[in-house]
Amino acid sequence: MTEVKLSIGYDEYEEGKKMQDMLEELANGPAAKELTSLIIGDWGGAYENDSSEIVETLVRLNGQFPGLRKLFIGDMDFEECEVSWILQSNLAPLLTAYPELVSLTIKGSSQLELDPARHEKLEELVIICGGLGEDVIASIHGGQFPRLKKLELYMGVDDYGFDGDLDTILPLIEPDKFPALTYLGLKNSEIQDEIAIALAQAPILDQLHTLDLSMGTLSDKGAEALLGSERVKKLQFLNLSHHYMSDVMISRLQQSGLHVDVSEQQESDDDYRYPALTE
Amino acid sequence: MIVIGNAENRRTAGLQEARKLLGLAPAVVVPYLDLLRGSKSLSEAAERGGMLGRSGGRPLLRLDAPGEHFEVERELIMLGAPDAARERDADRLHPAGDRSDPQPMSVRAAAALVEQRGRLYHPSQWFRGYSRLLARLEREAEALWPAPRWMNAPADIADMFDKRRTHEVLTTAGVPVPRLLASPDEIPDYETLHETMIKKRLHRIFLKLATGSGACGVVAYQINPRTGAELAVTTVGFDSFIAKPPQYYNALKLRRYTEQAAIRPIMNWLLKHGAHAEQWVAKAGYGDRTFDIRQLVIGGEACHSVARVSRTPITNLHLRSERMSLDELQLSQGVQDQVKSCAEGALAAFPGSSVAGIDVLIGRGSQQPYVVDVNPFGDLLYNVTYHGMDAYAWQMKRLGFER
Repeated sequence: MTEVKLSIGYDEYEEGKKMQDMLEELANGPAAKELTSLIIGDWGGAYENDSSEIVETLVRLNGQFPGLRKLFIGDMDFEECEVSWILQSNLAPLLTAYPELVSLTIKGSSQLELDPARHEKLEELVIICGGLGEDVIASIHGGQFPRLKKLELYMGVDDYGFDGDLDTILPLIEPDKFPALTYLGLKNSEIQDEIAIALAQAPILDQLHTLDLSMGTLSDKGAEALLGSERVKKLQFLNLSHHYMSDVMISRLQQSGLHVDVSEQQESDDDYRYPALTE
Repeated sequence: MIVIGNAENRRTAGLQEARKLLGLAPAVVVPYLDLLRGSKSLSEAAERGGMLGRSGGRPLLRLDAPGEHFEVERELIMLGAPDAARERDADRLHPAGDRSDPQPMSVRAAAALVEQRGRLYHPSQWFRGYSRLLARLEREAEALWPAPRWMNAPADIADMFDKRRTHEVLTTAGVPVPRLLASPDEIPDYETLHETMIKKRLHRIFLKLATGSGACGVVAYQINPRTGAELAVTTVGFDSFIAKPPQYYNALKLRRYTEQAAIRPIMNWLLKHGAHAEQWVAKAGYGDRTFDIRQLVIGGEACHSVARVSRTPITNLHLRSERMSLDELQLSQGVQDQVKSCAEGALAAFPGSSVAGIDVLIGRGSQQPYVVDVNPFGDLLYNVTYHGMDAYAWQMKRLGFER
């Protein structure tokens, strides 16, 4: 596998360096044909320039990257740009332009669209953000991903873009929606308990090996529902890391026979509970 | 050797332990509090240790951190008061001595301060007091010995303690530092700070209380030129009152402020007390965290170091950062060498000093090191050895062989 990460630092950006040019250069270079994984980091002033020109460039250059299977748009951290300040755009054209793509990871949900959300071969879709918009969630459950094995969505909080509620999320777990799905992450949520309760008895669990409810505000309430579920017992792995469960609940989970991650217990601040990524 | 420090604390204890280990006589300790209250002096200590006159030699003089001691802090604020009794040229070591301190407290008002944990009582007046004490000690030592052997000269300590001055000294010496947003005179308040950031397109900065140590008074601040949003990450908090001005304090955990109503007063308060604003250079990452490096330099040579790996832009160890060695971070030898030479260059910019903890970050992408702080008392590093010795033993071996 050959992987390339492209990013533009502050000084380069101020000097006028452009991600489009770097992509052109990559496309015309010797590595292009071999490239299997491309990571687009900070494209320079990601808080004032959206990702649309990158999408256009990648779409235009699709013939140059025949082996590309993995794509990450927006791999940057708090040293470069706040997640909620990253300006995305409609990334769906990438899905159309790269029919052989297997994995797509997106960081940042501001101005993010994924319409139309369809791909015959995509196996992994990950969206990392502080708050995922209702429209993106709707695009995903309204879309078509027959081969999708892993769906990992950071739900986030109201303040940073999560404008939905449990009803927005429920259509994602309808049984026949993603026939190949084995890893479901509905995580980093401020309504993690509600999600856990809704999932505990959901038929979709029967097809999963991993349920990832980590990084959210899970408390004993949600955990109780998970513990009481026969379906949850059949999972190979339950990720509950970063949670607000009590010590008692943690030991009950540990003794339940479940393969479960209960690390990073949080202490609630005046009864406020926060997901891990809220920015 | 004479140590001016807070008695009974871990720094003094660590040093005495190191001297014992090397078979050196214990240092004579002059507690800050006694010095400030006039019950002890440098000459009295020198006499006590038989360190005067032809047979007395020239003892090594070490100034240690005055912090973490409320009564000392109060005495220093009193000494920095406009009505404090003081010597001629008392403010001569203060790098911004002619700048007036906001809402000065009289000696009497300062004396009436009571301890409130974490509270930032009056940073600029505290520093004025400390620089007055440094000036006094400098003069006193000069009267006792022809060429006093300060491990770190009082004038250097004053310069290192003032981040505005440190940045200037390092820039002049050609040591790589993050770029300055503007000189402190050009940014008197929040509004001009904001305007300057927009005008210079420096949307991400660190604003640092000029005379704070550690994470105290440090703000990682960024503004979004498109939406007008802003974000300040800092330990500074404040309580508002109806009948008196707000009180500022250092919280134990980092806070994220996004509301101008909270950010403006904090920035204004820091700027009034004197603050240094520089570019927030993106730090290199380790996994999903970032880090910077505390590199100790003793006698011109880089020695002990520890990386502080953090999930937040402010990496200080008490803020739940993880300590790691440079090898654990898998930094290339080339980068490690650059960090060392950069830190050595920083200490060399202060020719009267032989010990400092230099904070170095490695720029993301460029791998270029930058010095972000010089700590004159930065030698308290736990469980880190160099040639099998802790930082105190190493400096006593390198510098303290005499008396």
